[in-house]
Amino acid sequence: MNPSEGIEFAQTQVARASLDHCVKCTICETHCPVAAVTPKFTGPKFVGPQAERFRHGESVDHSLDYCSSCGACTLACPQGVKIAELNGQARAVMKADEMPLRDRLITQTTLMGRAMTPLAPVANAALSIKPLRTVVEKVLGIHRDAPMPHANTQTITGWLKKRTRTAPAPTRGPIVFFHGCAGGYFEVETSKKSIEVLEHLGYEVLVPKQGCCGLAEQSNGLFDGATAKVLKLCDELRSSGRDLTIISSSGSCTGMLKHEAHEIMGVDDDRLADVGTRIRDIMEFLLELHDAGELPTDFAEIPLTAVYHAPCQLKSQGMGQPAMEVLKLIPGVEAIESGATCCGIAGTYGLKKEKYEIAQAVGKPLFDKVREVNPEFAMCDTETCRWQIRKGSGAVVEHPIFLVHQAYGLS
Amino acid sequence: MTRVVVIGAGVSGLVAAIRLARGGAAVTLLAKGTGGLQLSQGTIDILGYAPDRVERPLDALGDFAQANPDHPYAFLDAELVGASASYVAELVGAELLVGDPAVNLQLPTAVGAVRPTALASPSMTAGACVDGAKFVIIGLKQLKDFYPELVAHNLNRTDLPGGGRLEARPVMLGFPAREGEVDSSGLTYARALDDPATRKRFAEAVKPLVAEGESVGLPAVLGLDDHNAWSDIADLIGAPVFEIPLPPPSVPGMRLNRTLTAVAKASGVRVVPGSKVTGYRSPGGSVACVQLATAGGIREFAADAFLLSTGGFESGALHADSRHNLRESIFDLPLRRPEGALVHADYWGDPQPLFLVGVETGPDLLVRHPGGDAVYDNLYAAGGILAGATRWQEKSGEGIAVASAVKAADSILAAASSATTEGAAS
Repeated sequence: MNPSEGIEFAQTQVARASLDHCVKCTICETHCPVAAVTPKFTGPKFVGPQAERFRHGESVDHSLDYCSSCGACTLACPQGVKIAELNGQARAVMKADEMPLRDRLITQTTLMGRAMTPLAPVANAALSIKPLRTVVEKVLGIHRDAPMPHANTQTITGWLKKRTRTAPAPTRGPIVFFHGCAGGYFEVETSKKSIEVLEHLGYEVLVPKQGCCGLAEQSNGLFDGATAKVLKLCDELRSSGRDLTIISSSGSCTGMLKHEAHEIMGVDDDRLADVGTRIRDIMEFLLELHDAGELPTDFAEIPLTAVYHAPCQLKSQGMGQPAMEVLKLIPGVEAIESGATCCGIAGTYGLKKEKYEIAQAVGKPLFDKVREVNPEFAMCDTETCRWQIRKGSGAVVEHPIFLVHQAYGLS
Repeated sequence: MTRVVVIGAGVSGLVAAIRLARGGAAVTLLAKGTGGLQLSQGTIDILGYAPDRVERPLDALGDFAQANPDHPYAFLDAELVGASASYVAELVGAELLVGDPAVNLQLPTAVGAVRPTALASPSMTAGACVDGAKFVIIGLKQLKDFYPELVAHNLNRTDLPGGGRLEARPVMLGFPAREGEVDSSGLTYARALDDPATRKRFAEAVKPLVAEGESVGLPAVLGLDDHNAWSDIADLIGAPVFEIPLPPPSVPGMRLNRTLTAVAKASGVRVVPGSKVTGYRSPGGSVACVQLATAGGIREFAADAFLLSTGGFESGALHADSRHNLRESIFDLPLRRPEGALVHADYWGDPQPLFLVGVETGPDLLVRHPGGDAVYDNLYAAGGILAGATRWQEKSGEGIAVASAVKAADSILAAASSATTEGAAS
């Protein structure tokens, strides 16, 4: 795809084919977590199927920028209107000429990981210095209290190089693991445990060198950069073998590969289609194994009651909440569904100075639920959401694979 | 354990899924989006017009079925319909549904008509339109879906179903749902009134507008998650209060939908929303699996039985092209269509025959060829997809939906248990 083809696609296509299916039933409005907490966003139907009819290259409703791209509207629409996609495209067009520097910076997730890992203690300390964060807020527009990742001293690549495989010899053949930037640099434990669970099940886990999926750039309307990144990633993931299943413990990056790159940016490329159909969220994969009678369920008991929050970008993959079904298989575990549409962070949305308060208000019922059910521990499948829920609730929040890992006696 | 896939999350899909799960089946509920129950008025209609206004729906069902032998009520009898309505009321609890399925309530609508319905939210029943009732109908200036003058003046000139008249007077009150917002949806109000402090301010604003002996009619926005918000408001005002349902977003419909969905999940139903069923496989005479178009590709859901509760034309379950070629959109099932033209030009005249189109089933809700044998030995149907009803005009939608859902679930469970018995015997 040539530069700016993504924006052109957004300008001319805007998911219009689905627009006329809108019957104005308001179901999307009732599911929008942003419109529920602020009058600054008029709601998915108003800025979407309704305003779209009046857009002729230019946006008529600037409250569009307050959409967090959580996708709850598309998921709920019974008529098949691609509301979130349409609004994502319209926003990219609206911001094309005046993209804030802040939005260009916070979307460089790999760069952030690469810079922070060697300096982990310093970076972590710096991010907790209030006056410094105040300056960052003033200059860049990143809210001083917004959740930030915790840098690790070791990347997943570093761990893979140094460790020795402890699982028995593979019996189920090779499988590819995609960790995403956050799973490579910040949420390294999730990646380690996912690899160890897959090895325990008898897979040979291949971890090719891999970059970013471009999701953060996509959701900020930076389609050219996102397109280049996602296609490069497809090449990297395909380098391990053409027909292998690809497993990811990074729920939102999986969604980018399965859905957003094609549906929002119009990336029409065989490599993306190939990876998009081969990739599985790790909990989705475990449930598929279970449905086929191929998942060992010799789980040790874990006496635990805790909230499980399915992130919006996982739900928008239209596969339900596989983690809830897998957690039901572990004796002693009672996972309480959060019932929340979104934690508020929506990728980079909740980091922004002007949206921080909204993101906190969106997440509040979820934070309250975590505190009420189990203030020590909760579960969620995506990284930025875990940062948000940790900060908002004070609980330790981990990927549900942690419990599978423990129940198999691996930790 | 028998595995069942239910397609569609309206009232029939939700009720069937719950009954199946509680009956011991492993149930997966597939839904393209949120079901139509949320758009409803939060009531359970059984039979409102046959074609004259019905006072006692269960008593009327026998004659109605005789006059309409192709109607779903011809095989869903009064006992089943009454028990099924009561079953739904038990599932959601007395905070959301009250009434006697045998007796219709006569409740005011947002245009001031008097609508017959069997079960309703307890927040609505003080609006029963009976001789000598005195109502003050209060609108909210920032809510553009409710006009108290329209409601009150229409009610005033109506000869009531039970005889006599009522007295209603309109009042408009300015009460923003959120500071500075001049145009709020009913949902925004409902969320605001979930907060006890806002409720108190609201009741204080309403109280001086109410005269001695009047019941207070308000738009149905009195709380979303807090199902007792309306009674709290009534206590604070010191007068009976009733909610009048609005066009969507319908808050009473949302309360029912959210509650039934939560009950389904708590009963062990696996809910998979947001993807469309686009195909199926049926080697032999049974449906083996349906194919769900999720992000990233097709996923197959295998089961022992399948229940089609996808609705009618309005939800896309049925499709008619401009030449009136008809199609059921998932299994391309044979459809029953009335003789002659499907649509006539007399807009205000007789019902359009098109609404009678649907799938035909036996009394066990197994889908069959019109007048013939079962299409597959494990594909059932319930709700709006059934042929032979003009639901919107008869006010029969929920009654058909819940009775067919209960009956279909029981048929599926019975078939599973007889299969198990046979298996054990051989």
